[in-house]
Amino acid sequence: MAESFTLPLRPPPEQNERPDTLPVEIAQINNQWGSFREVNEEILLAKIAEEEKRHGAQQDEDMDEGEQEVGEIDPTERREQLYKRRHEITQFAMLVTSTLKGALERSAANECLNSKSHQETMLALDFISLLLSKHAPRQAETSMSPLLKQLAPLGSLDSDLVNPPPRPESSIKDISTVSRGWRIQNFNSASSKLLSAATRLNGEIESEIRYWGEVLAIKDKGWKVCRHPREKQALAVQYGFMEATPIFRDRGLASLRRANDGSLILDKGLLPTGARHVRVRVKQGDQVFVSSKPSGAGSSDADSIEQRILQARDSVFEEELFHELVREARAMAGCSVTTRQNLIRIPVSDEMEILLDLVDAETHDIALGQNGLQHDSRLTDGLAHAIRILLCFAHRQNLRRRTQIPRPLTTTRPATPEYHLLRPALAYLQHLSHVRWLESFLSDIYSTLRSAGLDIPQWTSNPYANWKPSSTSPPPAALEGLVEKFLRPIESVFSGKLLTSRGSFTVTVRTNLSSLPFGTLYDVSLDLPTVPDLRSPGRLGLKDDVETAITHLLLLDLVSTISSKTLPAVRDGQNANVSKEQTWDAVYPHLGELLLPNTNPEKHKKMKVALSRHEITLTTYIVRSIDGIGRGTCERRSHNAAAHLCKFPQSSVGAPSGQEYPSVMDFVVAEATEGHS
Amino acid sequence: MHELLLFASVPVHQHHGLLQQLAGLTAMQPRHALERRLIFKAFRKPGLITGRVGGSQDLQQASAGDLQRVNKMLNGGMFYTQVVGPVSNHDFAPTSKSVSTPDADTQMAGVDEPKPPAPAPSEAAHVYDYDQQTWKLEFRDIPEAATRSAVTTRVMASAALPRGDIEPSMNAWGYGFVTEYLVEGDVFIHNDIVIFLHRVLHYPTGEKEPREPRRNLPPLKKMAPLEKTGSYVLQASITVQDGSNQETMKTASQHLLGLREQLKSAVRLEPADRLSLDTRAK
Repeated sequence: MAESFTLPLRPPPEQNERPDTLPVEIAQINNQWGSFREVNEEILLAKIAEEEKRHGAQQDEDMDEGEQEVGEIDPTERREQLYKRRHEITQFAMLVTSTLKGALERSAANECLNSKSHQETMLALDFISLLLSKHAPRQAETSMSPLLKQLAPLGSLDSDLVNPPPRPESSIKDISTVSRGWRIQNFNSASSKLLSAATRLNGEIESEIRYWGEVLAIKDKGWKVCRHPREKQALAVQYGFMEATPIFRDRGLASLRRANDGSLILDKGLLPTGARHVRVRVKQGDQVFVSSKPSGAGSSDADSIEQRILQARDSVFEEELFHELVREARAMAGCSVTTRQNLIRIPVSDEMEILLDLVDAETHDIALGQNGLQHDSRLTDGLAHAIRILLCFAHRQNLRRRTQIPRPLTTTRPATPEYHLLRPALAYLQHLSHVRWLESFLSDIYSTLRSAGLDIPQWTSNPYANWKPSSTSPPPAALEGLVEKFLRPIESVFSGKLLTSRGSFTVTVRTNLSSLPFGTLYDVSLDLPTVPDLRSPGRLGLKDDVETAITHLLLLDLVSTISSKTLPAVRDGQNANVSKEQTWDAVYPHLGELLLPNTNPEKHKKMKVALSRHEITLTTYIVRSIDGIGRGTCERRSHNAAAHLCKFPQSSVGAPSGQEYPSVMDFVVAEATEGHS
Repeated sequence: MHELLLFASVPVHQHHGLLQQLAGLTAMQPRHALERRLIFKAFRKPGLITGRVGGSQDLQQASAGDLQRVNKMLNGGMFYTQVVGPVSNHDFAPTSKSVSTPDADTQMAGVDEPKPPAPAPSEAAHVYDYDQQTWKLEFRDIPEAATRSAVTTRVMASAALPRGDIEPSMNAWGYGFVTEYLVEGDVFIHNDIVIFLHRVLHYPTGEKEPREPRRNLPPLKKMAPLEKTGSYVLQASITVQDGSNQETMKTASQHLLGLREQLKSAVRLEPADRLSLDTRAK
């Protein structure tokens, strides 16, 4: 106690309650030493060697010297000091005890002394109590004087061991051995942990590199890669169509997940993964034609991520296509289109039926093998392509509509109209059948006329007149202009010139399934100047009507041709030097009746022309009425004169009349001359 | 009809980036718009019947109310109104050589949009025909006061006007020409919301302010932005057919607020100061 030593009045430095968290430490290390990625064994060894080289030698020496000095001081001086202090303490204690004893002995005798000693004892007690109150406040409080309690708060005095006595050599050795063992053990476990972490990180790095490489490859190919809107942590690739119906638009997004080995997984959620597409079948009589598989499906590297995205895109497109087809088919129930859960049945004509369904790619192949389905059909493939092109067109239209200034907000939501997918295709088929019918009819009746030796100019047809780019209008600025044509009514024009000059006819076939009036209409306009009261029938809806109208026109034409034919002059029996040019008079052109007047009123000759699709019939007979005019029962056919009949085309069996004429005109001339002979 | 609006100011350096962002958000190419805007002011025609002021004690209460309403309609509000005429780049007088073309850089990548055909050489000699100019009358009321929602709401109406010289017609309707300016910007459509990123251009100063709408347009390059820094205004608007229907109004404002939330990181859309949009003529 004689030695003065400074007491630290500052509170001991507080240990940080919790050590730095691992991320903070990692950040520190990263700052100080750089990334862990670059750490490997050689670098560490090199660093250690360098450290040793720089400080090692002299520091070790210093430390050795210092330790030696301390070691030298310790055993000698410290022990001496210790003994000295212990001696002092025992001396002081003995002194105190002896004084206390003396005081106690003297207490009875000397009261004054007694009170003083009591005071000192109480002071000592207070002192001890205050000292103890740091560790056992409750206990120490009982022995404290009230004055002290007022002056000093509990636990305001503390004791500490200063300059502890040295430990014995053996225990120091033990401790150092144990601590070294612990340290080695810890180093071992740390190194093994670091090594495992390093391998794990290496693997992780590799798989991350692979993952990001694949993501970048997708991005480089032009796919839109974005953050998944619902999962903030995930990346997603957008392959769908922005303008599709919202349900299908939202399905065109799949998250790009990383497998354990770093390969990319296209996660479409709960959607089925298989490729599906719309199959078009056309049933024609007993034959069934199937559209070919959309190209692109089932290519060689089916497992590449690009291929999977493409497949997903195709599937979503096909499903949307089928969805829209069903929607449109329901609206077309009036055209006897029926829909089932997965099948649309469209009867086109009596022997033709179109079936549309959504099938898996595998089912397609299996179905192809059986039932004698035939693969290559231009119709089915054309139909399949047409509905897809029209859906793309509808998408473009949606974009256009979406980017227009929107209409004001109202409570009612505007209904989305069905797309035009089936209707244009059906309109085309319907139009095609009508055009084919008209073509065959015209060629039939023209060949009939030709067979009769009539030199009628060939009719001309201009099918799909409004689809052809006209030379005057500029080429369509965009693709939409091209497709838009197919949605308009389809129009075909047939025209022909007649035997009579300036006579002509035009038939316009117009098919429209998109807007009113629905169906196919024929617009027939006739022009025959020799028959001034002929009216064009205008719009006709039935094929029969059209056939009748054109046949009638050609009959009129034939009649007027016959009537305009100048017959060779015939010599009159009584009046030899009078020769007169005669013609057949078209008395009832609409009935095909002509009259060859004769001087003898009993011997007027009448010709009846009948024209049908396959046959021309000319009949001549003598009528006995005065002027030859009169029809039916009034015409007073002469019974004794047999009717002459001439039919074209001439049948191989031979005409019943027995006389063969190479052409109509020959017959006409022959009959005229015969009438006068 | 009602119009709900939010505005934001866009500094010029942010303009290009914002165009890209909006193109991404709305999935469409910006549509460049140039509009002539003529300001007309209503004037009180002399000889207009002002109606009886006061003296309605002998009338029934209801009819007095009717009369007041009619009076208010006839004489109450006098407004500035604007006539908007869309113009194109070709309508402006050509500068010395270079014809200003739309910034090709704003064509966003990823969307395959056919570019408009390049102007044919014959169009270089295109002359602005004032008599064929289409016009639209746009009336905007002062924004509604004390609306608790965080959007600007105002009554609006638009009507198509005859082509050509509009001033005589407007005069006949009781409007006098005040001034005109040009608005240049890009339009985006986002569902029901029209996003118009625009700025106001002034005609070149120096020439005398004419008393009637211009028949010729100066070169576009010579037009000076009203804001000297050339910054833009982002206006997001949505129109509602029936302003008295609380439900649609609520939906509309929710749409707008949703857009504000989406654009939060880019710009801050805010309702405008009501009095700065005052169209009343004093």
